[in-house]
Amino acid sequence: MSDVKTHSIDISAMQRSQQALRIEDETVCLSVNDLHLYYGEKEALKGVNMIIPEKKVTAFIGPSGCGKSTLLRCFNRMNDLVDGCRITGELNLRDENIYAKGTDVAELRRRVGMVFQKPNPFPKSIYENVAYGLRIQGINKKRLLDETVEWALRSAALWDEVKDRLHESALGMSGGQQQRLVIARTVAVKPEVLLLDEPASALDPISTLKIEELIHELKNEFTIAIVTHNMQQAARVSDYTAFMYMGDLIEFGDTNTLFTNPSKQQTEDYITGRYG
Amino acid sequence: MKMKKKSVSEWVKSGDPWVWLNAGAVAISVIMVVGLLLLIAVRGLGHFWPADVVEAKYALPGETEYNIVAERVESVEVPAAQLREAGIAIPDQHQLMQRTLMKTGNRDVYGSDFRWVIDEYLTDTKRPEMLFTAERREWGNLYGYLKAVKEDGKIVSETTDLTPTDSAMATWNAFEKSIERAAVLFDEIHEIEKKDIGKINYALERIRLEQRRLELENKLTPAAAADLAAERGQYDEEYKGLQQSLIDLYAKINRDTFVVQVMDGSVHEMPVAKIVHAYRANAMNVPQKMSFYFTKVWEFLSDEPREANTEGGVFPAIFGTVMMVLLMTVLVTPFGVVAAVYLREYASQGWVTRTIRIAVNNLAGVPSIVYGVFGLGFFIYFLGSGIDQAFFPEALPSPTFGTGGLMWASITLALLTVPVVIVATEEGLSRIPRNVREGSLALGATKFETLWRVVLPMASPAIMTGVILAVARAAGEVAPLMLVGVVKLAPSLPLDGNYPYIHLDQKFMHLGFHIYDVGFQSPNVEAARPLVYATALLLVVVIALLNLSAVTIRNHLREKYKSLEM
Repeated sequence: MSDVKTHSIDISAMQRSQQALRIEDETVCLSVNDLHLYYGEKEALKGVNMIIPEKKVTAFIGPSGCGKSTLLRCFNRMNDLVDGCRITGELNLRDENIYAKGTDVAELRRRVGMVFQKPNPFPKSIYENVAYGLRIQGINKKRLLDETVEWALRSAALWDEVKDRLHESALGMSGGQQQRLVIARTVAVKPEVLLLDEPASALDPISTLKIEELIHELKNEFTIAIVTHNMQQAARVSDYTAFMYMGDLIEFGDTNTLFTNPSKQQTEDYITGRYG
Repeated sequence: MKMKKKSVSEWVKSGDPWVWLNAGAVAISVIMVVGLLLLIAVRGLGHFWPADVVEAKYALPGETEYNIVAERVESVEVPAAQLREAGIAIPDQHQLMQRTLMKTGNRDVYGSDFRWVIDEYLTDTKRPEMLFTAERREWGNLYGYLKAVKEDGKIVSETTDLTPTDSAMATWNAFEKSIERAAVLFDEIHEIEKKDIGKINYALERIRLEQRRLELENKLTPAAAADLAAERGQYDEEYKGLQQSLIDLYAKINRDTFVVQVMDGSVHEMPVAKIVHAYRANAMNVPQKMSFYFTKVWEFLSDEPREANTEGGVFPAIFGTVMMVLLMTVLVTPFGVVAAVYLREYASQGWVTRTIRIAVNNLAGVPSIVYGVFGLGFFIYFLGSGIDQAFFPEALPSPTFGTGGLMWASITLALLTVPVVIVATEEGLSRIPRNVREGSLALGATKFETLWRVVLPMASPAIMTGVILAVARAAGEVAPLMLVGVVKLAPSLPLDGNYPYIHLDQKFMHLGFHIYDVGFQSPNVEAARPLVYATALLLVVVIALLNLSAVTIRNHLREKYKSLEM
């Protein structure tokens, strides 16, 4: 437990250092221009405009059904899997429109990795889970795989826990370990962006804390977008926060400002717990 | 009275009758299945036990007495009136009489193996130790007393005694030795005839086909013809050598004869070469009988059939059944899985897909003989003769694939069982959690890679369940096979040492058809009946073993891909 306390102190210390962030100073990683998304007749995103800054953590908050997960799943075209889903508008990763015709979706998803709400390790060994994305790319050299697997597991702060049982089934791990394994599996393919869809909502508080701490480590190397239900979590881990409501992006700005001095009434109502 | 009524209604309300009804239904099913297995096990396995041979005097009222030597087969009670109607003068005081079926053997002497006797009129029953049973390669069993053993017509040992005296035992020992020698020679002859000559015939047939093919293609130059002739000459030479050694072996094996006295007192001389086993069941103790029993069971499992399938073993039928089922499995699994993957993963789930799915489910209910007719009409007459014309014109007019065979039978059964595999696989695919697929896709895997590396392995236990059901159905199927390649006696196994080793065009034997053939098509139904039970038991065991191995594989896979509890 003492271990946990030290970490929480670290986090609040980091938050203090984040105060003077300005979105205009950031490099743009992903930009969203007038994005509409329809599930059949229903409009789930109603013209979203925003950017995801490079090597920063951007959090999406909002009540259930506000479209924050839907928006996240647009970034790696996961919505393509949903029947009857239609998109208008533009979504650029750096300078490429990812919804342009002829986009290699598999390649896009390698560049924009995603971690889901529930841990979803494959029924394979720990090692094979992490090596999966590499094998998909045709990398089968043992030395390279070994190195990358170790690097990925270290990045996910899992190496010390599993280094002696790399070849055991991943399904024997605890939920928190499984989620960190999924993160390791995702970073192993060295994506540019990490999308985290409520990565800690199925985990206990200690595991949650470990994941949050991990996010702080990972933002040095990756651009991170995280959807969360937990406003404290958004406040703790993110640099920028977007508040969404009923398919609209209500407010987007640096986390401190958004939580301490929101410019919209709806945002204030939500973060003070008046609805949602 | 009122009290009781209330308690009954309470009892009904408590739900107990429902439980009893369910438990009763289960109990009846179990009793029926166990009873069936017990019946075929007892009847089938009893056949191999060396039964005592009895000698008795038998005289129907008003008829002359005669001697009878036989094994008891079964007894039934019949009304005396029925016997009287059959012309037997039964005294009036009898109502029911015990009638016994006796296996007297010696079909060559009396014309039939079995006769019914009425127990009442059997007298002076005894079990003499020197009475022996001989299983022969033809004409069924022989029962009698050994009188002499001869080599080249000269008596080696003889006896006049019907009890185990020294002289009788000496003759018996000489007889056993002679049988052993004949058995060794017989194996040698069998080896040459089946294997060596079979190989030469195969090679000669190949040369004939080669020549015919060159002729058809107008490429038969004199040089090629000479080559083929030279090759043929070489094989002919080899054949002549084998023929000579066969003649020698036959001369050797026919050297010995023996003299036997049968139940009516007549004496016959027969060649020893015709004997498979000879034993004196009355003189054997239980361990001896046991060891004889297991020899016989093994012979049943490992030998070829004799005498129109009513004697000997069923090895070719076991082999054919297993081979056909394995081939069917190899064909049906990929086909069914690929079809299910398309239906579940790629096809858009509209009314067309739904219709196809219903049609596939209904295919499982089509009577199997219909598949047989389809197999005959489409596979054999259409595809088979097409293949023959395209690839085997040299063999025409005799068909290669244009007639029933192992391949067509396997394909027909694969078609019969493919709905089962499709349904099971679809079921399995639909149970793979969506988030596992998404996890793979999110790592940059394409849909195909996700299917191949994650989804199909996780669905493999379900696929194996489909395969298990398919095997269970296919192994027990007989009707369609009768149209597409099963025969009562196949001259050789579909797998042998001649290139290309596995002969998919060959006809084969099958345990299910064997049961039908032995039980209902054989000239000697009484003799064959125990074999029907034994073969039925064997078929059940073979299917159980095939299923058991599939279940083992499935459990192994289940352990490996224990589904994620989410």
